[in-house]
Amino acid sequence: MTQFFTAVLTSLSSGAIYALMSIALVLVWRSTRVVNFAQAGQAVLTTYIGYEVIQRTGSYWIALVAAIIGGAIIGAFIDRFFMRPIFKRVTSGPIVLIAPVVATLGLLGIIEAVIGVVWGLNNQSIEPPVSNAGFNVNGTVIAFSLFNAFVLGTVAIAMILLTLLFQKTNIGLALRASAYSPEISKLSGIRVDAVRTLGWAISGAAGGLAGMLYVPSTYLFPNAMDVLLVFGFIAAVIGGLESMVGAVVGAMVLGCAINFVATYISTALVFPTAFVVLILVLLVRPSGLFAGKKGRSA
Amino acid sequence: MIRNTRTKRAVIASALITAGAMVLSTIPAQAAETTGVTATTIKLGISSPKSGAAGTAYKKVPGAMKAYFDYINANGGVNGRKITLVSHDDGYNVKRAATQTTKLVLNDQVFAIVGALGTATHRNAYKAANLAKNNVPSLFVNSGFSGFANKALYPTTFAGLPSYPMEAKVMAKFIKDNPVLAPQASFLIAQDDEFGVDGIAGFKEAGHKFSDNPILYPQGGLSSTIAEGALAKLAAAPGKPVLVLFGTTDTTATLLKAAEKLSLTTKFTFLAGSVGADATTLLALGVKATTVDGVITASFFPDAKDATDEYVKQFTAINTKYNKGVPFDNTVLQGMNSAMLTVQALRAAGKNLTRTGLMNAIDTKGSTFASAGLAPLNFSATSRVGYNGYWLGQLNAKGELKPFGGKLTLYTTDSTSGPVTASTFVRKSIPKNGIPNN
Amino acid sequence: MLKHSKSKHSKKIHSSIDSPRKRLFLFILGGWLLLILSNQVGEFSLYQGAFVATYAVGIASIILLTGYSGQLSLGHGALMAVGAYAGALTINSLQWHPVVALIMATLVAGLFGLLLGGAVARFSGPYLAGTTLALAIALPSLANQFPILGGEQGLAFDVGASPARFGDDFSPYKWFFWIATLAALIIIWFVANIAASRFGRTFRAMRDNPIAAQLCGVNVARQKVTAFAISSGVAGLSGGLLVMLITGVSPSVFPLSLSLLLLSGAVVTGLYNLKGVILGGLVLVAIPEIAESLVTRIGGSENVANSLPGFLVSALLILAVMFTPNGPEHIFKRKH
Repeated sequence: MTQFFTAVLTSLSSGAIYALMSIALVLVWRSTRVVNFAQAGQAVLTTYIGYEVIQRTGSYWIALVAAIIGGAIIGAFIDRFFMRPIFKRVTSGPIVLIAPVVATLGLLGIIEAVIGVVWGLNNQSIEPPVSNAGFNVNGTVIAFSLFNAFVLGTVAIAMILLTLLFQKTNIGLALRASAYSPEISKLSGIRVDAVRTLGWAISGAAGGLAGMLYVPSTYLFPNAMDVLLVFGFIAAVIGGLESMVGAVVGAMVLGCAINFVATYISTALVFPTAFVVLILVLLVRPSGLFAGKKGRSA
Repeated sequence: MIRNTRTKRAVIASALITAGAMVLSTIPAQAAETTGVTATTIKLGISSPKSGAAGTAYKKVPGAMKAYFDYINANGGVNGRKITLVSHDDGYNVKRAATQTTKLVLNDQVFAIVGALGTATHRNAYKAANLAKNNVPSLFVNSGFSGFANKALYPTTFAGLPSYPMEAKVMAKFIKDNPVLAPQASFLIAQDDEFGVDGIAGFKEAGHKFSDNPILYPQGGLSSTIAEGALAKLAAAPGKPVLVLFGTTDTTATLLKAAEKLSLTTKFTFLAGSVGADATTLLALGVKATTVDGVITASFFPDAKDATDEYVKQFTAINTKYNKGVPFDNTVLQGMNSAMLTVQALRAAGKNLTRTGLMNAIDTKGSTFASAGLAPLNFSATSRVGYNGYWLGQLNAKGELKPFGGKLTLYTTDSTSGPVTASTFVRKSIPKNGIPNN
Repeated sequence: MLKHSKSKHSKKIHSSIDSPRKRLFLFILGGWLLLILSNQVGEFSLYQGAFVATYAVGIASIILLTGYSGQLSLGHGALMAVGAYAGALTINSLQWHPVVALIMATLVAGLFGLLLGGAVARFSGPYLAGTTLALAIALPSLANQFPILGGEQGLAFDVGASPARFGDDFSPYKWFFWIATLAALIIIWFVANIAASRFGRTFRAMRDNPIAAQLCGVNVARQKVTAFAISSGVAGLSGGLLVMLITGVSPSVFPLSLSLLLLSGAVVTGLYNLKGVILGGLVLVAIPEIAESLVTRIGGSENVANSLPGFLVSALLILAVMFTPNGPEHIFKRKH
């Protein structure tokens, strides 16, 4: 029973991190129609910024804020000075479908190489800001700590803030409108380019948050977020790519599947499980669980 | 019409290329017994990971070897010949290792390969580069794969490390002989690759029965969550179970941190394989010193932190002078030791250096070489096994490795069904100033 | 020298692809020239040349899928693995001739692609990308679950010595080169024929405007599955060739980075023409070499040395996307 209980809790806390990456990918996909593979690089770069701040100030909290802001700036910067020129240049031929994706893959390589030059390839670690000792339930210490609770809580707050932003503010309306139909939005006076950059910024911030929440329970190295990107992407696809709710649900489904298989069947099947879950969901619903009505066939 | 012209142009261009290639081509000299050796130089080569994830841990090996060779060169070289080491990066990638090793043989025309690192990488590189057919020696391979000691499969390799099955057998014997550990439950967590698989085979060979099926995880697949889940499950066993970890050091760190989180650091006796227990790395990865304290691990070298060891002392001095800025650790020790063995092998082969001569010299005199290893070297006409034993030590809070129970006991064995026996072997003392005089 | 002339050479051959007979003639001519060339260059160049041919096949499989039918796969490494294992099993268990093994590699991977494609080819853009990405990480780790595949150690893939009639001084690398080059020429000729056929036109119509294609009576779903299956078969051959060159197959031969590397090669080549696959292969083989010699030349700190190869590949990829999105021939040609 404790084992089951623990598996649920750990599924939730790893699912929460996938959810952040997944949301970061969904935000960019909605605004730009790009699967942003550079997200892993952006997130790990911002986490290195956080790491650097911790080395200087000793405070995780300052680092967390720095990473979120840094992530937003990097995201906006990439859209403005990298993606936009590519979209301008590449306008015809089949390459249009995949040029942006390939460009983000290239960018991922560049970011990871730069990190390698600046910080080296060695594993670094970030201390959890709050105790990572598991809670004691009826004399058994379970694999769920104050830090895990903090991760879950932070992700939940981030979700609420994002939902408020999207549903209750004019900016959110603009974000949704330009995701739904850039042309019409433009005609109705929304600065679509600026809004798109904002989407990238929010996505970058989410990635930075993900990094700062993920790394304390593992290590920091240039490829640290690659696996997370893959899981985040799978979760986003399960969720239907368009929907933030879908991203969160997809992440939780994936988190549960992986942890339960690892607990009850075999730890060697982590990656095959992710594939099986993805393909089962897509076979039933080819556009994911929460795909919008329009279901773009890009 | 245009198309015809194009076709014609294609034909002309192709003819020109062919002609150009004929002029430019260089047909390499046939692989010979003395390739890479001149009156004043010996050219050796290594393909090992210098970039990528494995590069982080092992990039120091070629540098340390080069430092030692530089030191020997500054002291007159080997029979008047200076040693150069051509080092290529393979990023621990099978494909790169195959091309880089082939390049060492065909383009760089090295005399021998030394200290090649990695099991899967060198296994394929060995065949792709045709080392057997070209009779190119591959000395002191840094891998615990027992196959490299098999002369029938790899006629020119000499293993540089004891094998993983040996390690597992020694661990099994250690558990069995220890009155505290023997009655406890025992579990194995292993990486689903050659470490783990060879290790499982060794435990099986030794007749050790784990209390449950081994927990295997794919490379890069052991997240902290999964590690915690696994430990929580194993903690249900009564008493103080022995937990054997057969993987890389970062995984050991992940598991130890999971134990910290679950307050299980004292629940288990941790027994980590030699590949997975670098104390400096464990501490750098944020494992608490109190957790590191008490971890048991196997080794065949002295501890790189043991400044009283004469080899460590000498190698540290060479490292400070010829390998500037690189801190001395177990990896540097390993690289220097391979280089020292190589120099002795070259000396033993004599003035008229040939590839066959070099291999014969190791077969006949290899077991008498001076080495930092605390286990004996087992080279002979019938054996290509390098070291064949381990001692068990316990890490302390400072990350130093001290003999278990205060007294160093060396166990020797083989990779198959041979018994594990306590050995009284005492290694040769280091030649004066660390310069071989054999 | 070699690199430059070779790419031009291939361009010449392909630029006059219009009639099947002429195409066949040019491919045979090209093969003949390459075989002559193989007697003239050093052994290591032959070995690298064989890798170029192998990558060219891999890139052709991506071009067929992405360039011609508009489906993005991030997991072609997994399909290569299927072909490689099929080939190795053919040699090891059945002791059949290596050429048969390579054919089996193609067929089995094609069949696998047909089954997989039946399930996934109907997924649109990012969904297919996600599925293939997941496949690329899942499949190699599955190999450890089945003892017949040799676990982490994998299986040997030994094509054996060259036939005795070629003589004693016929080196193994020349043998590799011959096999890889001939296989590449045959399969690329095959792909070029498909591209020029009614099939190819349907693929392109489907890619450019799926709805219009459907209205014209094209069974889009079936065509996509077909494209996926053929592409898988070609990828399987590439996988077979790859493990032939490194003499063995194991899960570690097919990391995710291999899939992405091939995609990079395809983009550098120009995604929708087959004319530059050899250039793409050359680039993939050349970059690590260039990076390494740069590092040796300029020295540079350890961190720089470690990160330079990755940097170069990525930078080239971005430059290719930005400046020659439709392939390098636009640099050479004034007008299309």
